[in-house]
Amino acid sequence: MANGEKSDALINYKKELAFQNEEKGKRAADFIIANKELAFQIKEKSKRTKELLFANKALVFQNQEMIKKSKELVNSTKVVDALEKRVKERTKDLESFSYSVSHDLRTPLRAINGYAKMLEEDYGTLLDAEGNRLLGEVRSNAKKMGVLIDDLLTFSRLGSKGITKLLVDINKLTETVLSEINQSMTHHAKIKFSYLLPVVADYNLLKHVFTNLLSNAIKYSSKKENPLIEIKSEQKNGELIYSISDNGVGFDMHYVDKLFGVFQRLHAEEEFSGTGVGLAIVQRIIQNHDGKVWAEGKEGQGATFYFSLPDTANNK
Amino acid sequence: MQNNTVEILLIEDNMNDAELTIRAFRKSKINNNLIHLKNGVEALEFLFGTGKYKGRDISHKPKLILLDLKMPKVDGLEVLRQIKANDLTKAIPVVILTSSKEHPDIERAYALGANSYIVKPVEFDEFTKAVADLGFYWLLVNQPHV
Repeated sequence: MANGEKSDALINYKKELAFQNEEKGKRAADFIIANKELAFQIKEKSKRTKELLFANKALVFQNQEMIKKSKELVNSTKVVDALEKRVKERTKDLESFSYSVSHDLRTPLRAINGYAKMLEEDYGTLLDAEGNRLLGEVRSNAKKMGVLIDDLLTFSRLGSKGITKLLVDINKLTETVLSEINQSMTHHAKIKFSYLLPVVADYNLLKHVFTNLLSNAIKYSSKKENPLIEIKSEQKNGELIYSISDNGVGFDMHYVDKLFGVFQRLHAEEEFSGTGVGLAIVQRIIQNHDGKVWAEGKEGQGATFYFSLPDTANNK
Repeated sequence: MQNNTVEILLIEDNMNDAELTIRAFRKSKINNNLIHLKNGVEALEFLFGTGKYKGRDISHKPKLILLDLKMPKVDGLEVLRQIKANDLTKAIPVVILTSSKEHPDIERAYALGANSYIVKPVEFDEFTKAVADLGFYWLLVNQPHV
């Protein structure tokens, strides 16, 4: 029995071993597979890591770029601020310059005019007609220069002056302007206008425009036998267009660009008086209202001055 | 003598303007007892009886002060400030006579109590009229504070 039992147990043991070996082999195969899998994953991971590192570098670069850009922005804001400050300073300088011009130039002019007048009053009888004429020239030129200085100051002040927009009745405005013109100058011009469209604008500035354009029309048609001035208004593409026409001396369209320049004159002083600032003032006022000015004319056949303003008055 | 009966005090540093102003007054026949002081310092000394005018009877006050703004050292605004800050002189009408309407001090002059602000016209006839008008108004029409 003992031998038989022993050999049975041995057989079982061997079987067990064989089984275990088989299992081990299976496990080893599994391990190999898992190992391969791991190796693959590690490879993938290192690939990802490389990708991440690259992306990170890109981010760092972008970040640096952003810092650079924001620094640039801060700098350019500083530049803008500095420029703004300089513009403000310059404007102030210009204003005080205007004041000095106005004050310092007017004082000697007043003396020239005044002393010439005193000479005329006290010693006029000692001078002959020619002597008195010469004195008169001194006085009228001093006066003219006074007007010129005032015009220039008006022109320079327009830049800094604010605009107060209100609905303006152009018919009333035209009547006011015409009665003021009639008080300051004698003329025989016939002035025609029917209903003129109202506009939203600065009353005083617009009055300046009408005064200037109407005085010009009267002045430049004054040598005609039957001077005729027409004022019209129309509505076109969201704009209001006003025109003032005369049948006066007109102008050569070749020089149309010079009309609105400061100190630009198309006529000799002896022919028609003026400082050459008026239309420049008109243009600046209209431009400050987001409008346009232009003119048409023909030598000897009159001129028409137009200006447009945005139609915000709801003219329908 | 004359210092006690001054009616118009002209404070002006520009000799030409002073002569024109005096002439304009004379022309409109209202230049009695005008005294011309050539700067702000002199004006203050006259009004408050100090310096050159020490001992002047300052209870004798001018009826009208014409004041130029642009003067060296003590300018017109400072003279105006002192006139209007002193009980003795604050009731005297002060007319600012200046060269330019561009003057940034118009507002300040009124704030300090200026009674009038006039821009001297370039043209002598207009200048004469302006001076005559203001003289007529302040010396004859206006009822002064007693």
